[in-house]
Amino acid sequence: MNLLLIAMTLILLIPLYEAWQDDDIWQKMLAFASVASKTSIMILCISVLRDDWMIGVVGVIILSVGNAGFMLLAHLIKRITLQ
Amino acid sequence: MITNLPEDLYLLVIVALLPLSAIMLTVQVNPYNALVIRGILGAVAALVYSVLGAADVALTEALVGTLLAITLYAVAVRSSLVMRVGVLTAEVEADPEKFEAIYDQIRAMLSTRYLRLKVLSYETRADLDAALTVKELHGLCLRSPSPQPDQPPYELTIRLRSLHDLLSTELPHQTPPLTHLIPPSSTDTPAKSS
Repeated sequence: MNLLLIAMTLILLIPLYEAWQDDDIWQKMLAFASVASKTSIMILCISVLRDDWMIGVVGVIILSVGNAGFMLLAHLIKRITLQ
Repeated sequence: MITNLPEDLYLLVIVALLPLSAIMLTVQVNPYNALVIRGILGAVAALVYSVLGAADVALTEALVGTLLAITLYAVAVRSSLVMRVGVLTAEVEADPEKFEAIYDQIRAMLSTRYLRLKVLSYETRADLDAALTVKELHGLCLRSPSPQPDQPPYELTIRLRSLHDLLSTELPHQTPPLTHLIPPSSTDTPAKSS
């Protein structure tokens, strides 16, 4: 459990680094999408390893709703950059 | 050595992501980039809360803290970080290329402060002055009524002192000089605030 989750955390650092060093707003958005998906998958993993349904439901809801919010933000930023 | 690891080491590693992304958020200069990093902070915070067993807090953070907050902030930043300049429709139609060049010069300066330029066209000079008085506009871009030989043909009147100071540091050095900057005067601008 320890090694699996630490490995996942290290993988999560890759898009975090990308979001920090790249000034292009779309690269940051891609990194944000990557981080959101990875954290949801980590929550699902932890819920399975702990056999805890409550955390699992939260992971599923964040995974499904996160994409909607991401599209909303992307649309707003697209309208800003087009002007 | 691996078997000697404490049982909850992964907790420490995951929780350490939270201050890391928070520091990333605070060092951002561009407000739009900061919004995206705020989304990343929200995702990491939801992960930390659910790992620590607070599923309800994690759900609230993801739905309200991330989704609603960054959407509202994006709308707020989009509508506030803008400079509105009024022009006369007849003057723009007479020389559209010159006005595009003026817009490009102003945009180049504003983009260093993450501001956007919005141009509004008015039919008559009276409408333009009325819009400036009711603070619909931050400035006017008009052809000079009495052009001097040593001055550019267009003049840019700015209502706000701070915006004028920002533009006056760089606009006179632009090549070719297209606009002559007129500072805010206390007589025809009723208030100093925005």
